[in-house]
Amino acid sequence: MLKIKDLHASVDGTEILKGVNLEVKAGEVHAIMGLNGAGKSTLANTIAGRDDYEVTQGTVEFEGKNLLDLEPHERVGEGLFLGFQYPVEIPGVSNLNFMRTALNSVRKYRGMDDMSAAEFMKLIRKKASDLGMAPDMLKRFVNVGFSGGEKKRNEMVQMAVLDPKLAILDETDSGLDIDALKTVAAGINVQRRDDTAILLITHYQRLLDYVEPDVVHVMIDGKIIKSGGKELAVELEEKGYADVA
Amino acid sequence: MNEQLIAAYSSQADGLEGTIPGVDGLRKMALNGFEEQGFPTSKTEEWRYSDMRRFHKQPFELANKPETADVPEALGETAARFVFVNGRYDEEASDLGDVWQAISIRPLANHFMSNEYRVDEIIRGTDGVSLLNTALMRDGLVLSIPAGIEIDEPIEIVHVMKGGENAAAHVRHVIEMGEYASVTVIERFVGDDSNYWTNSVLQARVTEGAKLRHVRVQEEGPNATHTGKAYVNLGGGSEYLCTSVALGANMSRFDAIARVLEEGANAVVNGVALAATGQSHDMHTDISHIVPHSNSDQVFRTVADARGKTSFQGKVTVAQDAQRTLADQSFKALVFDKTAEANAKPELEIHADDVKCSHGATIGQLDDKAIFYLTSRGIDPVTARQMLVAAFTAEALEKIEFDDVKQALMGRIATWMLDRADRVGTAG
Repeated sequence: MLKIKDLHASVDGTEILKGVNLEVKAGEVHAIMGLNGAGKSTLANTIAGRDDYEVTQGTVEFEGKNLLDLEPHERVGEGLFLGFQYPVEIPGVSNLNFMRTALNSVRKYRGMDDMSAAEFMKLIRKKASDLGMAPDMLKRFVNVGFSGGEKKRNEMVQMAVLDPKLAILDETDSGLDIDALKTVAAGINVQRRDDTAILLITHYQRLLDYVEPDVVHVMIDGKIIKSGGKELAVELEEKGYADVA
Repeated sequence: MNEQLIAAYSSQADGLEGTIPGVDGLRKMALNGFEEQGFPTSKTEEWRYSDMRRFHKQPFELANKPETADVPEALGETAARFVFVNGRYDEEASDLGDVWQAISIRPLANHFMSNEYRVDEIIRGTDGVSLLNTALMRDGLVLSIPAGIEIDEPIEIVHVMKGGENAAAHVRHVIEMGEYASVTVIERFVGDDSNYWTNSVLQARVTEGAKLRHVRVQEEGPNATHTGKAYVNLGGGSEYLCTSVALGANMSRFDAIARVLEEGANAVVNGVALAATGQSHDMHTDISHIVPHSNSDQVFRTVADARGKTSFQGKVTVAQDAQRTLADQSFKALVFDKTAEANAKPELEIHADDVKCSHGATIGQLDDKAIFYLTSRGIDPVTARQMLVAAFTAEALEKIEFDDVKQALMGRIATWMLDRADRVGTAG
């Protein structure tokens, strides 16, 4: 589904990604672990197409298409989703309006008609309730005044509504208490299917207790230096990055 | 002040003698005032952000009344529509609806006939532009809403200009509201491509418990000059809610002057201005709290494209006796690039000690992080920017009580953003 070859990317002229190779197949859950500054978030943002991340070398293929040729919103239309480490607050735009515009934008990209307001309300209420989001949060401005946990939960609702083929979740577990972590993990597990793939970016093994990865990668200084099974996450937790690397 | 300009405007005023019975003396006085001070210049503090050069170059001529004019569709449901073409009432294009049964509607020309003292109620103004409006006013609407009458739907006053190059219209509307009366007046301004001048004054007396909602939609032609004023006096517990939207004209300016004369009144003056390349919009407020226990609130949101300019000067005066005044003012401007300009000059003059007055002004660009967040959910960048600008301006449109009117104005803002999609609509 996702094929990354020798990806180099810079931010403000400083090279952060220094040759990332990664392949994620449908039905798989991958976890990328690494310390702060290793380039994990840069990788996620580069795949999503954030424009202050400049790709200087390498390729990113998604379902056979060159992802780097596409605008960020087109990548979403193709089936990509990025869960933000720090979801952005957007005063004045209601969560409902945001999600409905997002869903209909994606449908438009795929040549589908807009979803009717009634159908959308049914969908969003179901997804919000599945993820334990209070209905009034839908009427509030996007992420404004949300706690850290509520913001991450909101990311999960957006993911559920957009139903992506590949979800990249950037530190979705950070700042969550155990109950919120379980809800978020449940949301991820629902999205885990034979025809979807998930790329988890995380510091800690904690989330991986609830969402079992098929492959774990260790990222240090802009490169994936080691890959293995879920036991690699446990080993990292016990021995630390220096020893494993 | 240029002698030739003075002579030209003076002869225009002479030509109007007798057109509105009873006001010749007032015209003369206003003209004298104009002759003394002329037009403001950019050195005049209150006009510092306005490019006044056009007024000093050549005189604008009084526009003739044309045979016909295209009148835009109403913004929403209306109780009545009054159309002024080149500053003159157009009976055929107007629609009086049923409101004439409940309220008194008179043309300005008949207003003073049996009420000569009413001439004293006409506000002359203190600057050259307002004085000239008084000296050259030719027509207008006098609306009197009797006590207790509430008009449920808006009354639209549409001003259409098609007078050709250098034409000018000076209109004067007078609104008198009886106690506990309520009405929404929507003033609209449209016109052709010539470099005409609309100089409009609306004066209103809002007596005890009455509520005047005033929406101003300025969509003049692209080469027009627009100067507008609202003078509003507020009685006890009354309310004035003004929302001004500036979209058109090459140079536009709107002054809202509200005097809170009795306790418990509330003056809200909000505005949105969108300045395209080469356009400038000025917004001025002057709100005086003279008695205790009154409120005022101002929310202005402006957007300036490359080489566009928006300016806000907001003055709040709290007299010594006006204890427990609550006055808020918020100005936020978005600029699309380094050549766009936004000016803010809050002025608080507070003579009482037990008051709560605040003001804030920010100037910034659209948030790239927010744009990326929206596009990362599949929303294209043009729509993303439209959503952010809609959200940015929403607070300033909040006081419009009619959804169809609000939607129409939000539609204008969305279209304005769409028109700029090719320049500011690409990612980043």
